[in-house]
Amino acid sequence: MSTAADVGPGTTIPSLELVVDPEKMKVMTALLADPNPIHFDTRALAALGMDERPVNQGPLNMGYLQTMLARWAGGRDRLLSFRVRFQGNVLAGDRVRAQGQVVEVRETERGRVATCEISLEVVGGAVALSGTADVLLEETG
Amino acid sequence: MSDSGYEDRVGREFPGGEYTLAPWRVWLTADVLLDDPWDEVPHPVLAWMAGVAGSGMSWDDLFAWFDATAEDGPMFGEHHTTLHRPLEAGATYQVSGRVVSVVRKVGRRAGTMDVVGYELDLHLAGADGREHVARCYNSIVFPRRRA
Repeated sequence: MSTAADVGPGTTIPSLELVVDPEKMKVMTALLADPNPIHFDTRALAALGMDERPVNQGPLNMGYLQTMLARWAGGRDRLLSFRVRFQGNVLAGDRVRAQGQVVEVRETERGRVATCEISLEVVGGAVALSGTADVLLEETG
Repeated sequence: MSDSGYEDRVGREFPGGEYTLAPWRVWLTADVLLDDPWDEVPHPVLAWMAGVAGSGMSWDDLFAWFDATAEDGPMFGEHHTTLHRPLEAGATYQVSGRVVSVVRKVGRRAGTMDVVGYELDLHLAGADGREHVARCYNSIVFPRRRA
């Protein structure tokens, strides 16, 4: 990112775009030990009368936003607080875009912290998650 | 808003337990997110994953506290993670958790629903005692079609 000193209200965080891969969702199902078939079983989805594309796990959707923030701030150890509201589903094969903008920068005991508005949207579709996050821009010496 | 009949669940503690951020979990979690699996700092989403896995409860157990099942279609509502310090690969976290709120709401389209909030804490045992590493708050929305 540009130097921490350059960051202020209105700074745009470089967005992150990716296509949701159903094979990754199967691995996440195992990591989460989540038996819900809507994340991997297309036949079960059809039986439920749903779109046959599996539904992405909420933690994956959250994780895309956290990845965007970490890359911008300079590391995964920079995320201090993360708050989102779940507003819609993301389906296998969807292209999603994680995006954000700084709304406030302040000095704290830990250092210079940026509060950001963030959202994950399906490209050409609806917002799936929106919220705010605090990231550490510069640690107190 | 009205009483849900489940207000007495507020304050109920989860059994709790432990969760180790085994290097293979750290690697695979980054990989499923299309992030760098060789980064030494675990992905922050693992705070929530560790909390859930170490809570001592299955989803079905939690749903049953509110007389619901997966077939009722419970949904994620909100999520909030606070990280007091970064996660560490290989570390074993002590997990505790509790129900913190139950609110009945009636939506014009969605109908009656109970919104249950719970929080999960990760602590690390160290020379200086138990260090609070993270707190994750999550809410689950239970549709109450028969209410």
